[in-house]
Amino acid sequence: MQALLSFDQAPPFAAPLRFFITAPLFAILGALLLLWTGPDLFASRWTGSALALTHLITVGFMLQVMLGAMLQILPVVAGANISRPLLIATLVHLAIAIGALLLAAGFLSYQPLAFRLAALAIGSGVALFIVAAGHALWSVSSTNPTIRGLKLALIGLSVTVCLGMLLAISLDGSLQLPLMQLTSIHLGWGFFGWSVVLVAAVAFVVVPMFQMTPAYPEWFGRYFSWSVLTLLSLWSIADTAGWQWPATVLVGAAVLTVAIFAALTLRLQSRSKRARFDATQHYWRLAMLCTLTACALWLAARSVPALAERPEWPLLCGVLALFGGFMSVMIGMLYKVVPFLVWSHLQNLARGRMMAPNMNKVIAGQQVDRQMYAHFAALVLLLAATIWPILFTYPAGLALLLANAWLLRNLLGALSFYRHHRLKIAALAPAVAMER
Amino acid sequence: MTQDKADIVLDARGLEPPEPMVLTMEALDRLGQSEKLLVLLPREPYPLYRALELNGFSWQTEFQSDGTVEVLIRHQTR
Repeated sequence: MQALLSFDQAPPFAAPLRFFITAPLFAILGALLLLWTGPDLFASRWTGSALALTHLITVGFMLQVMLGAMLQILPVVAGANISRPLLIATLVHLAIAIGALLLAAGFLSYQPLAFRLAALAIGSGVALFIVAAGHALWSVSSTNPTIRGLKLALIGLSVTVCLGMLLAISLDGSLQLPLMQLTSIHLGWGFFGWSVVLVAAVAFVVVPMFQMTPAYPEWFGRYFSWSVLTLLSLWSIADTAGWQWPATVLVGAAVLTVAIFAALTLRLQSRSKRARFDATQHYWRLAMLCTLTACALWLAARSVPALAERPEWPLLCGVLALFGGFMSVMIGMLYKVVPFLVWSHLQNLARGRMMAPNMNKVIAGQQVDRQMYAHFAALVLLLAATIWPILFTYPAGLALLLANAWLLRNLLGALSFYRHHRLKIAALAPAVAMER
Repeated sequence: MTQDKADIVLDARGLEPPEPMVLTMEALDRLGQSEKLLVLLPREPYPLYRALELNGFSWQTEFQSDGTVEVLIRHQTR
């Protein structure tokens, strides 16, 4: 039995966990919005309710999970320690949560004040995070693709949030900006510059580590994040300048680069040493298949005029990317990260007086599988709802509600498992200081 | 770094976390005062370094061309 202290610099459990537990609450709000609005939500990607739902998922769910995960992985994969992690986590989490609610309220009411307050809250929360993470990463040299990707993702996040704030304060028309064009650049940076670059940076470590696959090829890790960010920057310039043809080629190249990442990840997964896929692997596979399909659909819509005219394809692409791609990959990771954190914090608290329980017992496998099936069902129904909204909107809303309530239940289960074992450890020798 | 410099060699390259950390800590628990432990890993173990520092070990890390990270660990000399 090991009596050694395994770490003391990792952020306290409460720091990342608050982000992870809040995320499904926002997806539940999204599901309630879907049920409340009904089929009208899918009339176009520009309806207030569609935009509110999009931001409940991107800011409420994705940004929460991504910032919480980044807080946790910076010390582990980059040796970069954020100073005062609990304080930073508390402030950032609060600002982002309030900001996401205000932003959704803004899209539903079109009240300029809600948009301005949302911009203030999200902007200050993200700025604080970028300063803290940037400071921690500043002195770390980019010795591997993950560290490089984490740094570049922070640039992607900054551009996304700056453009988002600009859009939020100019929606009343006072700044005379080309809003549609700015929206597509904001979306491009949010999806590719921030989300895909971060997912890939994390994938370079966690896919081989947790899925027992070979490593990503060296050339891919070296060039991927840079290529995506360079293509995005050039596309943003070309699009703003009105150079239509170069802009299309550049954004097409960015989409293809992302498709290569998804295809490569699927290929690595097929060479996994594990005999039977676990939930995380199923979630990753689904995410990569949805990403590939979204990329293919986007390229097809750009090259086939008959398809481009149909109003459903942007919605279909959006559902594939958000619910099928990003949400799946993040839920899949939560099922590794949360049990791992519970295990390592307990291990650290016990200091050899008892062994921390097995990681696989933190969340029961059966509960994980059932939640996963609910998520799969929600995705299929959401995709169907973009094409046949009258038939499928309500079943999709209910399935999304169920899948995320279940996710919340599983995460809270992990928390109570942690608390229960922490008390057991404390009972062994009350003199040892309790971890926060 | 050659493997015969070490008294114990722990190859943790094909293992899923937290196994490499658990096995390393277990091996360190049993490591004699003058013994050396060599751990083979697929990536640089930042959390391990901190654990080694806290528990009074010194270490040397080498990077092999096949991507293997070799960490040679011994008790700190007082």
